[in-house]
Amino acid sequence: MTGVPASKRVMAPVPDDVIPQQLDRATADSASPAASDAELLRAIGEGSEPAFEELRHRYRRAIERACRQIVGGDLEDCAQEVFVRIWRKASLYDRDRGSAPAWLLTLARRTALNVRRRRELPLPDELADETGAVEPPDVDRFWVEAALERLPERERRVLELAYFHDLSQSAIAAELRVPLGSVKSWTRRGLHRLATILDEETA
Amino acid sequence: MTHEHAWTRLPDLLDDRDQPELLAHVAACHDCQRQLFLLGRVDRALRGAAAARRNERRRFRRGRWLRFPAGLAAAAVAVLLVMMFLPHTAATHAFTLRTAAGRPIGQAILNRSDTENTSLTLVARGLPAHRRDTYVLWAGATNGRPTTVGRFMVDPTGACRARFNLPGGHRWARFWVTPPGQPHAVVATT
Repeated sequence: MTGVPASKRVMAPVPDDVIPQQLDRATADSASPAASDAELLRAIGEGSEPAFEELRHRYRRAIERACRQIVGGDLEDCAQEVFVRIWRKASLYDRDRGSAPAWLLTLARRTALNVRRRRELPLPDELADETGAVEPPDVDRFWVEAALERLPERERRVLELAYFHDLSQSAIAAELRVPLGSVKSWTRRGLHRLATILDEETA
Repeated sequence: MTHEHAWTRLPDLLDDRDQPELLAHVAACHDCQRQLFLLGRVDRALRGAAAARRNERRRFRRGRWLRFPAGLAAAAVAVLLVMMFLPHTAATHAFTLRTAAGRPIGQAILNRSDTENTSLTLVARGLPAHRRDTYVLWAGATNGRPTTVGRFMVDPTGACRARFNLPGGHRWARFWVTPPGQPHAVVATT
């Protein structure tokens, strides 16, 4: 996938009735930070590398975390293999059969289980029944890790400090050296933004 | 309260349900109810992700300690010493809420925050669906009159998670839940 330089890649001819502006907009939209995960997968299925990079930016940490749970340390190979499979199989994603995060998490888990089997590591007790199938709460956790990557830096930071580091809003204000009102406002905006993303992804 | 103002402040209801003006707007506004439902899902997802990270860190630490038996032994001795010499002020105390039929539907968990405040986390599931989806949590101390802790909202399945602050220096003996304006209609009690 990445072995051939973009300049040398053979591309299908553009039909005459497609004007360049339309083409630019279509490419940019499908890979923009505002595009939904499902839109990105569709674009990846059609061979869009910018869309793939955007998806990788969003899900890198979440996929590494999913790999770590199953493979343990040395997870870079596993995460890399997950992204290779996403690139190859994105065109198989069917929005009517489930959300994009659920599809991605299933793919990540199954890949990680294969990696673990190849390394001939025994499965620990908590993973003994693991088939790669995912539960809704797992999907929500997986999704939210990726959705955080789509927030503006300051909104993401206050939410991470509040939820992942258990800091009060006063403590966050002290940590970031900003007024308490700013922390409250960024927290509200960040949560609203995540709710909007969730609404779009599950629509 | 205008719709825009209420909309902006909706995330505040995830922690503090004691905002009658805001709750009154939400009760009458379909858009705000829908957004609050989505915010609740986001909040649960973030808490779930935080718990998963904590478990992961704990597993990692456990694995690391097991590789160093001397460190493990030292930690055990340290924990014993702490347990022997520290006063037990930071203990958590959980009360189980049950319906009149005895069915457990949630917990009220007390945590000493500081000398003046006690934090209370209410987690419930399967509360009866109520028309306005709000309830009042009450507390009774061993040496005083019943106190209103605050209002909270449940989702359509009757689930909720809310945090409150109680004044410190009391021995809280009982908690119960009633619909708003009906202090004698106890829905669940400890």
